[in-house]
Order: sequence, then C-alpha cells, then structure tokens
Amino acid sequence: MEEKRYIDFKPDDFTLVQQNVRITDKKLDTKPTTFMKDAFRRFCKNKSSVAGAIILAILIVLTILVPWLSPHNITNVRTSEKFLAPKLFEAGTGYWDGTRKGEHVVYDAVNQVPALSDKYSVASIQQSLISLTIEPDHTFIDSASPYGTGGYIVVATDAAVADKDVFMSSKPISFTDKGAYMLDIVLGDEENVNASKLGEYCVYLKAGERPEDKIMVRDFSRDYSPISFNISQAMKDAGMSSFTGQVVFEVRSTTDAFRYILVESVKLSGGERAKNLDDLAAVSFDNATVMINNADKNDLGYWACSGRKGIHNSEIFYCDYVIDTYMLVYGDADLVTYSATELNGWIDKGWCSYDYTVGPESFVRLSDECPVDTVESQTVLKVTKKLSSITARGWNYRKMGYKEMPKFLFGTDASGFDLWKRAFAGLRTSLILGVCTAAFCFAFGLVWGAISGYFGGNVDLFMERFCEILSGVPWIVVMTLFILHLGNNILTFFLALCMTGWMGTAARTRTQFYRFKGREYVLASRTLGSSDIRLIFKHILPNSMGTIITASVFMITSVIFSEATLAYLNLGLQGVQSFGVMMAGNQQYLGLYPNLVIFPAVILALMEISFNLFGNGLRDAINPSLKGSD
Amino acid sequence: MGKYVLKRIGLAFLTTFIILSLTFILVKLLPFERPIGGTQQQIAYFDKQTHLGYVYRFEKEMPKYGQLLYKSPAEKGRSFYYYQVPVLEQYVNWLKNVVLHWDWGYSKTFQPNVAASVIIMSRIWYSVRLNIISVIVSVPIGILLGIWAALKKNSLTDHTISTMVMVFISIPSFVLISFVLRIFSYGLDWLPSTWPPDTASTAVKIKGYIIPVFCLSFGSICGYCRFTRAELCEVIESDYLLLARTKGLTRRQAIVRHALKNAMVPIFPSILAEFIGILGGSMILESLYGIPGIGKLFVLSLNYKDYDILFVDMAIFTTISLLAGVVLDLSYGFIDPRIRMGAKK
Repeated sequence: MEEKRYIDFKPDDFTLVQQNVRITDKKLDTKPTTFMKDAFRRFCKNKSSVAGAIILAILIVLTILVPWLSPHNITNVRTSEKFLAPKLFEAGTGYWDGTRKGEHVVYDAVNQVPALSDKYSVASIQQSLISLTIEPDHTFIDSASPYGTGGYIVVATDAAVADKDVFMSSKPISFTDKGAYMLDIVLGDEENVNASKLGEYCVYLKAGERPEDKIMVRDFSRDYSPISFNISQAMKDAGMSSFTGQVVFEVRSTTDAFRYILVESVKLSGGERAKNLDDLAAVSFDNATVMINNADKNDLGYWACSGRKGIHNSEIFYCDYVIDTYMLVYGDADLVTYSATELNGWIDKGWCSYDYTVGPESFVRLSDECPVDTVESQTVLKVTKKLSSITARGWNYRKMGYKEMPKFLFGTDASGFDLWKRAFAGLRTSLILGVCTAAFCFAFGLVWGAISGYFGGNVDLFMERFCEILSGVPWIVVMTLFILHLGNNILTFFLALCMTGWMGTAARTRTQFYRFKGREYVLASRTLGSSDIRLIFKHILPNSMGTIITASVFMITSVIFSEATLAYLNLGLQGVQSFGVMMAGNQQYLGLYPNLVIFPAVILALMEISFNLFGNGLRDAINPSLKGSD
Repeated sequence: MGKYVLKRIGLAFLTTFIILSLTFILVKLLPFERPIGGTQQQIAYFDKQTHLGYVYRFEKEMPKYGQLLYKSPAEKGRSFYYYQVPVLEQYVNWLKNVVLHWDWGYSKTFQPNVAASVIIMSRIWYSVRLNIISVIVSVPIGILLGIWAALKKNSLTDHTISTMVMVFISIPSFVLISFVLRIFSYGLDWLPSTWPPDTASTAVKIKGYIIPVFCLSFGSICGYCRFTRAELCEVIESDYLLLARTKGLTRRQAIVRHALKNAMVPIFPSILAEFIGILGGSMILESLYGIPGIGKLFVLSLNYKDYDILFVDMAIFTTISLLAGVVLDLSYGFIDPRIRMGAKK
C-alpha cells in the first residue's frame, strides 16, 4: 500500500501576478491574417506543390511565348525538311546534336552507303527490314535481301507433295561441236548444312523427254563435290553433233520430310559465237543472291524451279553510322546551276555583285542572304553573248530562305514542322480550351448546385435526376455524338466538354450547401431578413469556394487529356493546332523516330504532373478543416 | 434495404433506357451512309433494314419520303426504291426489335450484313480477358503498396511510393504505352510491338499480354495504392485503434484485426465497380496495340462510319458504366451495414 503524502501550501507560497495593474484590452501582438494569406503560407510549406507550381508556370510561359516568338514553320508542309533529328548542341558533341545513329544497319555494298541512311521514307526502311529475316539456318524464303551477296540457291522438295523437284535453266542453249563446252557446278555440302537434310540429286542436260535426249552430268547420288563436266567430250562420246537443251537439277522426292541441295554457282563456258556466249553467260551465275534478286520472282530469271526455292546463307554486311541530318538537308549545295534571272534578282537586291565578262572570279558576296558562296563556272550564250547560267557552290539552307542553319530543338515531323513550336502551339489550344471550359463549368455548376442545394425538396430531386441521366452517358459517347453532328471544331469541343463537365462542380456545391445551410449564422441572417440570393452568395457560397476552385484546376488537366484522347480516336480538333492530333499522328513513327512521340509525351506528362502537384497543394492549402494540422 | 436495392436498380434501368433512347435518336439523325459492297449485298442490306422497320421499300419513286436512299437495279422489269423511315418511327421499331427479338441491327460498312451482336460477341472476350487479368494483377499490388506506405508513413519508403504514385497517376495511358513500346519492343526487342495474331504461338501470345496488361493496370495500381494509404492512415489514427493498443494488442494484431478490415470498407466496393467498369476496356490502348476488342471496335466503326455498330458499342459502354455505379452504391451497404444507403436524415 502506497503511503499517502501531504503537501502543505501556505498563503505565502503564492503571489498575485497582476495585483496592482489595471487590466485593459490589449492590442493583439500577432499579425492579423486573412484566409488567402494563410492559405498561401500553408501552400508554400508544401515543397512539392511549390515545385509543381514553378514547373507549371514555366510551361505556361513557354506556351504563350514559343508559338509567338519562334520563327519556325508549322503551317506550310515542307517535306524536304522532314524528320530532322533534335538539335540543341552543335553537331559533333555526340548527343542531341542533330545526328542520327545507326547500329548494325544493313550496308549497301554496291553503292557503299548504309542502305537506309539517305532515305527518310518509311516504306524504304520497312522494305529492307523484311529481308533481314534471313537467318543463317534453313529458312526458305522467296526473296533475298537486296543487299546480300553469295550464298546458295536452295532446291528443295516439298514434304507435303511427294513429287520430284526440278531446278532448270529455262533458256535452252545450243551446243555445237565447234565449241569446247564446259559445265562447272559448285554445291554446298555437309559443312554448310545439316547433312541429314541434304537430298539425293542428279544433274543432266535435257533436250527432250526421252531418255536418250539426256546427257547425264551426275547421276543420283549424295556426292556434293564440285562438278567439272566436259560437254563437248560427252557429245562426242554420244555421237551427237549438236544438242539444244537445258541444265537440270533434280532432287529426289521423299514423303517424310523435305530434302534439298544447295547450289552455289553454275558456270557454262566455251561457246564460239557472240550470241552463244551471251546465252551461256545468262544461265551462268556465281552469286546466288544477286541471281535471285535480279530475277523475276516467278522464274528466277533464266532459271525455273518447280518446288520450294530460297536462298541459304546469303551474306549481308552490317554497319554502324552517324549522319548529320541537318547537313543532309541544309548542307553543301555544290555545283548547283542558277539561271541568270535568279542571279540578276540577287544583284538587284544588293546581295552580291557579278560581272560575267570578267568571269567567276568577279563574284563578290555582299549579304548573308545570298545563297551562293563562290561561282565555279559560267555559261554564256553564243549568239547574244549574254550570261545564261552559273554553276556555284553554296549552302542549301540559304537557298531555302534561311539566314543561318536552322536548329530544331525537338526535331521536325513528317511534314517538316518544328516539333517544339508545334507542341507548344497545340498545348496553347488545349490550355485555352481547358481554361474556358473550366470557367464555364465553374460558373454554371456553381449556380446549378447552389439552387439545387439551397432549395432542396422537389427542385433538388428534379435537378438531381437530370444530372444523373446526363452523367450516366460516358463522356466519350457525348463527345463522339457532338463531333459527328457538329464537326470537330473548337466550339464543338467546348460545348461537348461543358456538357459533361459542370456536373462535378454542381454536385460539390450542392453537398457544401447541404452542409452549411442549416448553420446558425445562416439562420441569423435569415431572421434579419436577408433574401435567398444574399444568403446563397454572401453567406454560404464563400465557405465552399475553396474545394470548388481546386476542382476547377483539375478540370483543366482533364480537358487536355480529353483532347488528346479524342485525337487518338481520330476525332481530333481540326483547323487549329492540336496537341492530341500531333501526338496521334506521330505515333506511327515511334519505332523509327521516337523523338516525335517521346518529346511531346514528356511535355504532356510534365504538364499533368505539375498540374496535379499544384492542385493537391492548393486543395490542402485552402481546405479550412486542415488548418493548423501541419 | 431490399426496397432501396430494388429502387436503385429500377432507377438505373430507367436511366439506361433514357440514355440509350437519346443516343439511338442522335445516331439515327446522322447523315445516311451508303453500305459498301456489290449490288447483291446492297439489296440484302436494304431488305434487311426494311424488314427491321428502318427503311421503306416501294416499287415506285415516293418523293414525299425525302431523299432516295437506294434504287435497286431493275429485275423482271421492276426495281425497288428505298426511303428512310422517320426517326421516331425507327425508334419504336428498334424498341420492338430489341425487346422481342434481341436484334440490335446489322453492320453496314465494317463487316457488311453481319449482325451487331455477332460482331460484339466475337470481340468482347478479348477485352474481357485482358481486363480481368489486369484487375487481378493490379488489385493485390496496389493494396499491398498502399498498406506498406501507410505503415511506414512519413518515412523514405512512404515518400518514394507516394511520389511514384503521384507521377504515374498523372501520365496518360497513351503516353505510358509509347514509352513502354519504345523501350521494351523497339529498343530491347523483348516484347511484341503489336497484339500477336491468333495463329501465333502460345509463348508469343503470353508475351503479347504483358504490355497492355501493364499499361492498363498501372493507373489502377496507383489509384488503389493512394486510396488504401489514405484510408489506412485515417484508420490508424482513430481512437478505437488506440484502444486496441491500450488493451494490449501488438501493433501487428491491431492493424491486421482492426485497421485493415475497416480500411477495406470503401476499397472493396471500388474493386467490384472496377471489375465491371474495366470490361469496357481502354479504347486508346486497344487501338494503339491493335487488340481486336470492343474498344478498338469503337474506333473502327467510327472510321468506317458504321453508325449502327457504333451505337451498339456505345450502348455497351453506357450500360457498363451505369452498372458499375449501381454495384458501387449497393456494395457499400452490404459490406458495412452501418451505411444505410438512401436513408433519410
């Protein structure tokens, strides 16, 4: 049991604090604060929201300034400037410098360039990619890469059809006893392919269907060693003076699986007349891939195949490259011919001076606008002794009307539009649309919600049912119907977005009214004779303003999002710059020119993130119930 | 309760009916588009429409019925003239067709003369399958992340999770899929860049699900995470949890037995609603990834100007969203008996 302790207090232990002091009302020492000031103070405490607000402010400033100040073109289609790479730094810095890198790209050995570097058309790139599917395995395909060389022609049986397969020169060749004809054939053997798949085959010269019309070169065997066959000798042995026939490879058919042989080269030689030599050359080949590529796909040129055919182990060169897309488009305009009229035009404008009687040395460049740097040569008309044209060196960009080489921060798209300017111009449309919609929905929803919430009863019931029906329709359906009926212009978008947008504000206002309309201060004001209008706007509404304003901020982001979504459904805004239409249009280039999609996507994501951060901060800051919680 | 449920469902039916009626009339008011195909197909289409009561067929020209839709070529000396039935009459006929025969009309240009219900049924399973998988993926991940963040409130873990959620919830799905496609399909070449055809091998088909499921579930993962965190944080600070701790339960016991159960009250209905709501799928995702679902059908029928199909597709989306709302409302009452939906003050 704990012992109880007693403490003695005597009156002397206490002193009165304000015994002889007059107590009067004192002025408050703390600074007075308003609701907005307090909200601002609390908003500033939230670091992420401040960051969001700053990013948002920068984006909005850019949205206003970029479309206005940027000199680049976003309205006239210029296909010559399409798909330029993004450029921020000077070329050669290695990153974001207007160059495109290619790694492991097919190399065009004939023209000695990367096969795809000079062509910016999607079709050409895709076409070439198809032929990349050749694998060093046993895949049979009907065509080979146009950039491949060598390899073997595959003469194969079809497992499904138990029929022998024949690969033959479709052009009959006349052999006479005058020439010394040789047939050299090189075949692929077990080193090239799984031996069990190689089939039994024979090679012969065929003049007709009868057995005696054939000269057997090699009878059915599995011997894949090179063949060197003396045709003239064979003819002599058979007692023939002349022979007109085709070279035929025959693979013996099997029913279990397909078999094939690989033909690397066929060479016929020894003809004595020019036409004869041509025929022999046409049938001979030593580069199987080239032979197939040059051939019409159906009959392999001078060869025909009855079964499956294809190319095996065609060799393709790959290369890595870096090209400066700006130099390709705006670079040297070497030895370009300009007419005398063009030159005279420049001289009249004072861009340059030139005296054709003196010659090319007399060319003097006077202005940056002159497209020509130096004149190489000139052509003078013989009769009139007047200048007809000059051939000059210069820069392409000057010819295209630029004073200096342009720089596109985000690159250009398929129409040659500056992506940077286009993105912000589109964003401007979205923002204007968003702000207008939010403003309308804010005003209308406020009035609707106020009436519905304040009066309650049957008015509320009716208005609520109306909202319920309207909000039951998915917004995408409303938008689609509006656009189908009224066309996809900005007014339609505004109307359709307003149509569905105000109900959120209305519902929120209504709830707030239900919360506050029974409070004592409202009753007090009513007792003093305030009208309904005064009660609504003066006493109740200011209480619910904070949450409603925040909701309006989020509305702007949702409008930007809706606009882009509709563009992806092919219902995008027409007639004005639209962010969504731009993104949806560029989506098809994601694989080839990712900058066209990724850069706008980053801007959009940044915009949405900063809007959300800002909105969340705002909501916390102006929510009276969170006051003092931090 | 039973009365409220009935009332709520009845009201939902009424709303659906009104919306579908309005949509039908609005779609029918659109300019008439000629069906594609040869003469036989055209005649078949118009005869079917006559049978359904949307088009009049006459043996001579009848200018009082407005614009001539189609004139069939003369056969045995006579040809038919087709005129549009007035929209309100079409509406009545449509109601009859739907109620009595469950006949939702026929495709005109997209897959000429195929019944709308057949087209929908052939596509809806792609959307349903995809969305069920994505719900199954997103719910546990989202809730677990939310719980984790709430338990470690104001720690580095919480801040990281919350920031990630904040960032990813702001990114629209078409932006997300662009990034994912760029990195995993075109860049690393791990996953197919479009939906694999039905003839593809099982491995490729499974791979084909990864990107759409990821993009679909990402938003909901973030949503669940945020929702769970907010709810759980609120519950953890409540008085009864303090009581639970004071009466000697460990933190784990208190959270698992008391906090989680209560925090799940508002979350569970939203899962149910999502299950239904997500059946509609994402139109953009489906058209970007080439998934032959009903979302893509919306885009296709718009492009083909096949408004009958468009209407049926819209009807599905509308019905699904209304149904989701009803389920959400009702499940609150079932899960937490304290909540009396529709109760008077």
